Amino acid sequence: MFGYVNVYKPELKMKDFYKYKAYYCGLCKTLKDKYGRFGQMTLSYDMTFLILLLTSLYESDTIQSLDHCVIHPVKKHDTLTNEITEYVADMNIALTYYHLIDDWNDEKNIGGLAGAKVLKKSVNKIIKTYPRQCQKIEECLNRLVECEKRNETEIDIVSRCFGELMSELFVYRIDNWEESLRKIGFFLGKFIYILDAYDDIEKDKKHHSYNPLIARYDTPNYEEDCKKILTMMMADCTIEFEKLPCLQDIDILRNILYDGVWTRFNKINEDRNKEKGTQNDSKSV
Amino acid sequence: MIANPYSVLGVSPNASNDEIKKAYRELSRKYHPDSYVDNPLADLAEEKFKEVQEAYEQIMKDRENGGNSSNSNSSYGPTGSSNNSGTESPELNNVYNYLNSRRYQEALNLLSSIGQRSARWYYYSALANGGAGNNVQAANHAQQAVNMEPNNTEYVRLLNQVQWSGQKYQNTRYNNSGGNFGTGNMCCDLWCADSLCECMGGDLCSCF
Repeated sequence: MFGYVNVYKPELKMKDFYKYKAYYCGLCKTLKDKYGRFGQMTLSYDMTFLILLLTSLYESDTIQSLDHCVIHPVKKHDTLTNEITEYVADMNIALTYYHLIDDWNDEKNIGGLAGAKVLKKSVNKIIKTYPRQCQKIEECLNRLVECEKRNETEIDIVSRCFGELMSELFVYRIDNWEESLRKIGFFLGKFIYILDAYDDIEKDKKHHSYNPLIARYDTPNYEEDCKKILTMMMADCTIEFEKLPCLQDIDILRNILYDGVWTRFNKINEDRNKEKGTQNDSKSV
Repeated sequence: MIANPYSVLGVSPNASNDEIKKAYRELSRKYHPDSYVDNPLADLAEEKFKEVQEAYEQIMKDRENGGNSSNSNSSYGPTGSSNNSGTESPELNNVYNYLNSRRYQEALNLLSSIGQRSARWYYYSALANGGAGNNVQAANHAQQAVNMEPNNTEYVRLLNQVQWSGQKYQNTRYNNSGGNFGTGNMCCDLWCADSLCECMGGDLCSCF
């Protein structure tokens, strides 16, 4: 996925940062153990957030262990794993699979098709275990393709495809927390989709590719408007988050939701301003 | 509805959200059905467990609405008792009924079939879009309704509500950076007071 949902390290306590990393390494290890090297390549930070959130909500028994990993083969790493890690790893594989199929249908990306073939067997099993989530992933990604084809510019309509997809993944169990989890996933999904469009806008404009923000791009308040929209998403997301009785790892969760999710946005703006600055410099010279 | 949900959780109504969560966790652990298998007190514990759950959800819902359950407007229903039924078109009346029963998609469908877009149309559209999760459109239409009828308190209240949630998020962000999480009531109350003052042209706290 995108890696937009991450911690903001400068504000995080060291012990929390190591814990967060241990969950991340736990997901990496689970992906590798269950789905091999290819599965491991699908690792992302966005899904680590889901592990933290559900683990905090359900207070699942978590196993701590020391493992070697590919990226750091010599030093041993703390990993944290539990039933949620397994669930999220499965969802990550399903998501990757349907995404690769889309790529194949869309761009006839042969690498994508090969990847999908590698995952096919594993995915069949995941579909059987989690039909509700898998059907929704497929349906939402199809709707997203439709939106892109008809050049949909209504931001709510496009982004809700990804919002609904995430919303379904966030519902680990059907219980009292379903409504809140759905809304958290929904608005976070919309946030991710819009931020991704914001991130890609220059590239998409250059290649004449679809981007839902293109109509706004040339307006004078473009950056400010986008920030307002993204803030709205996180505001609605956190209203629901604060309703959940999450206490465990609460500092990490809030760090991500209130600060971490803005890291990428700030970086994009910084880079853009730098670019503008250098352009101006060269002009003045 | 539980008459006093705070006493069920054994906390003061002034307790912070995190204190309430802590109390909820302790009690739901204490009365969890798994701890009472083959125990004569199982039924009693289960009843208590459910009550704790209900109390918790009730408090969270109340607090979302600014600690005042009678002012419940977070569920995107029309506020106030008047729906201007005398002056309103029958179509808009039907939209009103859909909104009241939280059938947002049907409300949206009906709204899109209405050609004449009055301030009330935009107000209802903002509510329906908000309920359906289209928060960008909801904010735009709330603004549009206020632009058309700036003196309508109902419209102004909705617009404030939409803007307030974004400001509250930002506010929590800055508090977070100071290492202090103020999602407690004092902050909210100040907010409300400030928003109200601003409505009337004043400003209680310039920092908000």
